Amino acid sequence: MTKLQAKNIVKHFDHNGNSVLALDGINLNVEEGDFICIVGPSGCGKSTFLNIVAGLETPDSGEILLNGNKISTPGPDRTMVFQEGALFPWLKVIDNVEFGLKMAGIPKDERRQISERYLDMMQLTKFADSYIYQLSTGMKQRVAIARALAMDPEILLMDEPFAALDFQTRDLLLVELQLIWERTKKTIIFVTHNISESVILGNRVVVFKNRPAKIKKEFVIDYRRPRLAEDENLQKYYHQILEELKSEVMARIKDENL
Amino acid sequence: MSKKIISKKTSHGSFDDAANAALFLAVFIGVWQVVFMLGIWPKISLPSPLMVAESFVKIIWNHSLPVSIGVTLARLVAAFAISISLGTLIGLAMIKFKGFGKTLSSFSAGLLSFPSIAWVPFSILLIGFNDFGILFVVVMSSIFSIMISTYSSIRNIPPIYLDAAKNMGAKGFYLFRHVTIPAATPSLIIGIRQAWSFAWHAIIGAEILMSIVGLGHILSVGRDFLDMGQVIASMITIFAIGLLVDRLLLFKLDERVRRKWGLDHHR
Repeated sequence: MTKLQAKNIVKHFDHNGNSVLALDGINLNVEEGDFICIVGPSGCGKSTFLNIVAGLETPDSGEILLNGNKISTPGPDRTMVFQEGALFPWLKVIDNVEFGLKMAGIPKDERRQISERYLDMMQLTKFADSYIYQLSTGMKQRVAIARALAMDPEILLMDEPFAALDFQTRDLLLVELQLIWERTKKTIIFVTHNISESVILGNRVVVFKNRPAKIKKEFVIDYRRPRLAEDENLQKYYHQILEELKSEVMARIKDENL
Repeated sequence: MSKKIISKKTSHGSFDDAANAALFLAVFIGVWQVVFMLGIWPKISLPSPLMVAESFVKIIWNHSLPVSIGVTLARLVAAFAISISLGTLIGLAMIKFKGFGKTLSSFSAGLLSFPSIAWVPFSILLIGFNDFGILFVVVMSSIFSIMISTYSSIRNIPPIYLDAAKNMGAKGFYLFRHVTIPAATPSLIIGIRQAWSFAWHAIIGAEILMSIVGLGHILSVGRDFLDMGQVIASMITIFAIGLLVDRLLLFKLDERVRRKWGLDHHR
């Protein structure tokens, strides 16, 4: 069943008074239970696309359908894990996880039950009463994931959530995220500029062209899970995608030097 | 574990701070005594620390000091309450109506640096030589600080917090109550501390010029009767109250928020 449909999404940016085309007609069908990774050179517009899906930005034309219904505002059915976590420093870890549930008007006891379950899933139970600054970057991202999952969204949006992590932590989270995906059967859209991340996580990998962004090619990665970063069988996918992406990254660098 | 180490460090630190402050005061009083004994100024212009202490006893004994403190603080609390509530409302209106906010904030440097004492003649002619006139001066001196800080604190909230909150379904009053206010709090507290210090400047100035009771008044009575002991005793009281309110209330509040946010963890 089609969970989410992006129809011909176009978006312009205002850059020093000039209108720059950022997204040039993105069409994407996300099936229920998909784990889609979007890769592209940094600054190509993939985060913009994700923001549009989240309802945080509006497209100039085109529409997003969730379960066949058009969406235009942000909503808890599409929760986002941001690159910097975007956790609230004035709340304890557990209150951060419960934030969305509180906004939804869920009673305290029930909130506590749900948040404790996800804190446990992310191995954060011991840190429930900590404040955000007391956590490492990896723990912060785990809280952010727990917070997003606690909302039980239709679709989970992840915007380069592991970009700021060290390699060891990232490798651990790459495995954890696959396990969570298998356990919860969530539909996930995961944006990254890191090819190996996309190969490890995605069952579909969508390559974005450099600005103006369009979908250049899509790969299906049919390989057993959990996939590990050091698995050499993933290399062939990696190289196929790299081949597609190389020219786009070069184009991006050229753009930036102009 | 880390928490324990931190609290230990601060308690140790505050003991050191207190010892340093006591030492500083002792040296200050010592120097004062020496200057007094050198006899550069006549006793009436520069009394000794002991003579000032006697003045203290005198104005406490005849009730003028406690009454003055009571009156001044009551006025201050009233004026500050008006400043905070009205200033916050106007600050929020500045956010809501962008053109209004932009215009008003372009005057902010002039409004913030406007000397409180310059409101006194205006207030005397407009309202009169009474408590309300004093309140007016104090409110006018502190309200801009509250307005501008409300406006800029909210505008400076990192957009990512608002995005994340909206993404989780927060909107309207909930968004305001659970994200906007807490996210702006560290910076709002700075505005309140500044407003407090402006209000304190203003009330003493206004009382010197327009009052028949209050701390500013006993200061000016001291001058009228050439009673330098009373002048200095009043000044010390004003200093001590200014310090205490900031330390016991505002600084504590600031510190609590900063600890929660981890803002003191920069090295």
